Amino acid sequence: MPMTIDELKQKIEALTNELQSQKALTETVKNQYLGKKGHFNILAKVIAQIDNQDKKVAGQLLNELKLKLENHFSNTTSKKQTKQIDFTLPGLPQDVGHLHPISQAMEEITNIFEKVGFTRVRYPEVDWDWYVFESLNMPPSHPARDEWETFFVDAPEPAHDLTYDAKEPRKRHPSLVGGKMVLTTHTSNGQVREMERLKNPPIRMINIAKCYRRQQDATHTQMFHQFEGLVVDKGINIQHLKGTLDYFAEQFYGPGTKSRIRPFHFQFTEPSFEVDFSCHICGGTGKKNGEKCKFCKSGWHEVGGAGMVHPNVLKAGGIDPEIYTGFAFGWGVERTYTLKEGLNIDDIRLLYSGDLRFLRQF
Amino acid sequence: MNILIPHPWLLEHLDTKTQPEKIRELVSLCGPSIERIYEREGENVYDIEVTTNRVDSMSIRGIAREVAVILDQFGEQAKLKKLTLPKISQDQDVNLPLPKITNDQTLCKRITCVVLDQVKRTPTPDWMAKRLVQTDMNVHDSVIDITNYITHELGHPCHAFDYDKLMKTGGEIIVTTAKKGEHFATLDGNEFKTVGGEVVFKNGQGEIIDLPSIKGTANTSIDESTTRVLLLLESIVAQKVRFASMSHAIRTTAAQLMEKNVDPNLIMPTLELGVKLYQELCQAKVASAVYDDFPNQNPTQPIATKLETINNYLGVSLEEDVIVTILEKLGCEVLRKDKDKVIVVTPPTFRPDLEIAADIVEEIARIYGYHRLPSKLMDTAIPLDKPKHTNFEVENRIKHFLVDRGWQEIYSYSLVSEVLAGQSGYPLENHLKLQNPLTEDRVYLRRSLIPSLVEVIEGNPLEKQLAVFELANVYHPDAKQKLPTEELHLTLVTLRNYREARGVVEALLRQFFIENLEIDETGQILIEESKIGEVRQESNLIAIDIVIAKLLPLIKKHPTYEPITKTSFIAEDITLTLLESVAVGKVIKTIKNQSPLIEKVELIDQYQQNYTFAIKYHDPSKNLSNTDIEPVREKILTSVANMVVKNV
Repeated sequence: MPMTIDELKQKIEALTNELQSQKALTETVKNQYLGKKGHFNILAKVIAQIDNQDKKVAGQLLNELKLKLENHFSNTTSKKQTKQIDFTLPGLPQDVGHLHPISQAMEEITNIFEKVGFTRVRYPEVDWDWYVFESLNMPPSHPARDEWETFFVDAPEPAHDLTYDAKEPRKRHPSLVGGKMVLTTHTSNGQVREMERLKNPPIRMINIAKCYRRQQDATHTQMFHQFEGLVVDKGINIQHLKGTLDYFAEQFYGPGTKSRIRPFHFQFTEPSFEVDFSCHICGGTGKKNGEKCKFCKSGWHEVGGAGMVHPNVLKAGGIDPEIYTGFAFGWGVERTYTLKEGLNIDDIRLLYSGDLRFLRQF
Repeated sequence: MNILIPHPWLLEHLDTKTQPEKIRELVSLCGPSIERIYEREGENVYDIEVTTNRVDSMSIRGIAREVAVILDQFGEQAKLKKLTLPKISQDQDVNLPLPKITNDQTLCKRITCVVLDQVKRTPTPDWMAKRLVQTDMNVHDSVIDITNYITHELGHPCHAFDYDKLMKTGGEIIVTTAKKGEHFATLDGNEFKTVGGEVVFKNGQGEIIDLPSIKGTANTSIDESTTRVLLLLESIVAQKVRFASMSHAIRTTAAQLMEKNVDPNLIMPTLELGVKLYQELCQAKVASAVYDDFPNQNPTQPIATKLETINNYLGVSLEEDVIVTILEKLGCEVLRKDKDKVIVVTPPTFRPDLEIAADIVEEIARIYGYHRLPSKLMDTAIPLDKPKHTNFEVENRIKHFLVDRGWQEIYSYSLVSEVLAGQSGYPLENHLKLQNPLTEDRVYLRRSLIPSLVEVIEGNPLEKQLAVFELANVYHPDAKQKLPTEELHLTLVTLRNYREARGVVEALLRQFFIENLEIDETGQILIEESKIGEVRQESNLIAIDIVIAKLLPLIKKHPTYEPITKTSFIAEDITLTLLESVAVGKVIKTIKNQSPLIEKVELIDQYQQNYTFAIKYHDPSKNLSNTDIEPVREKILTSVANMVVKNV
């Protein structure tokens, strides 16, 4: 039996009126209207009985009704149904990894130096003896080499009869005569390599890398990390080195930290310095709460070495020491990092142990 | 090198009232670092680090000289005392012949000796024993201890021969170099064979009778019965001392001093002090004249230094007078040439370390005081030429991304054991090996990070879902006489399942706008046909290894924007029961290739061999309808027909 649009309208109106009289707006009532076998679906079936030409209008009417019904229930039911969340429930644990403390330190050091125009570089960890020692004013069998417990790579060394000559350090360059391969004992091999890369100053390099020495105890591991700064230009002097060290100390350890340089000796710098940073625990006084500071030696920490680049090293890097001067500094990432207040790492071997109980703490 | 200096002994050479703590503070700022002050035998003993170039400070007198200059600079009263020692003269009633000495000046710069007779074997007096103990030296008896005592006080090693033994071997000392394979025994009885080239003393028969400047040999050294002593000091060329000492690993105090160029001018005062003590403590008689062969007085070379150079290094202008005063206090002779422009500095003989202008700058700067120089950053140009082929920013982003996704960063040793090297995937003999490893677990330079990270996971057995990564170099040997290739790898190893590990890598690459990562059935990781790494299955572990240098060129800093589509897509899921021999990647690829309308095929569920794929159809030019999809769907099912058991 066909149905007209008017009849449909009446049914819709009846349903709407009935809806108005409904007081309870619960899920059950909603189902009576909008559920699978609810009033709306039953009514919607009549569309089959409508004339084809009127079907479109009928469809629109039904859609309007549906929207009306949905609005009616959405405004009311959902809010009443939501249960109050227990805010004291613990959070669901998330997997979080940890950046290794050495990475953290390296990133921090890099950021500090990049802000004042240093370029970070990377050079070989297995390098020619020439870059690691000879170009740094340390001829073969020089006693100064004893301080570096060097690992040698088991590889043949070509014979040649060119003797060392401090005046012509590039005469025995490995590109000409080959050489002996060593594991870099310090990041200072980057000095001449950076001079060779840039050919001409200005140079402001920060080289952070793995180093290797033949020693192992609570404060030494066979592999460790160093960072090395090198600045070469016209008119570079000791004041600039002091300025750079003070800047780093304050940025890395906090406001008020000072640096101090004292005489020392390295073959590749002249003058050479030992670098101390003032203790940030006792403010450089050596005393805390009337007692001797337990963290430092009399207010200062020895952190590393520095100096004005030796003229022979500039020469080895192809730079004229009559025109340019420079300074360099370098020290251990581990040492620098473990001096941070409250860190309390007493055995640096832990850093390379792969022990998650340690690494998770960072 | 460290040296121990008892404060009262120091005061024998230095006039000062400054207290030890103050001395420590001031001297450390401008000279050798006084690391500690010990209390030993009721007195203050300084522990001082002397740098290798300053062997002149390796004695009581040497330190006193430095301290005097530095204290004075700070306005503290301090003065180096004059060293007055009696000249040696032969006693009338004794006369013994000196040995016949044949020197070679190319090997030995000076040789000086005297014969002592009627040497009594007295115990070391308490005052001397106390100082020996304070400075970590053993106490024997006077005859032996005097030699160590005078070396410590004045800085030149010396040797007491048993005169009778020496005369019995022929009474001859020939300074020469050893050939290879000659035998000698040191005074402690250890036997050695020469490597050739060591400077030795020989007798007329070619027998080695001393290893000069290093250690005495048994055949001429003092023993309990010795009553006659030949007290001898010689100055062997430093490099030769070092060669012999290192070759035989005989690292005596004498060798460690003499290999660093001790001033031969110290020989005479040391001999005089020695003779004085033998006379006082052992009632010895001087039985010969002093033999002294010192043809070349070891003059130091004058160094012309521009005042401009000094001021350039310091960044401040010092008056010429200030500069000259400092240098003169340090014992240098200064010639003022060309007023206010150049000075010519002749260092004292005990300062052979002063060779070039920069050395002079150091002396002036340290005594003037580094702490007095201002501190400022450079105002010079900033270099803009960055190194190619490295990208530290990308490395940092990789690390941070993985850490944020729950992966733990590891630093493991580049040096590995034979076992670990053997697991690298390369034959053991194709690894670089250390010539002098310290421990067995660090012998080879690794060619893969995987074995090290597997070891880390195995070392943490309580962690059931461990996921770790490392960004580090591996070392591939190159041709002979070429440095190895150091290749930066990102390696991930985990106990989690493969899809999770791969998903993290895919998400990581999306950070760099790399979308089309493929991994083939053998584990090769490919991006647009180029291999960037590989996946390995290690029993219950998954390892993913990526070569950073291969990744860097593919990285983009930003995407290419595609306009937001106006047409809608159709999504449908399809579940296929795959044959066990079929690789899922191949199925996905096959489906994807069936029509350009297929925009994406994703594996969304798997149960046993049933795999559900979500397929997204899209046409940017029109809205798709079921009639468009129908034939494509048919095509898909046909294309995978030989891969499935049946479709559901």
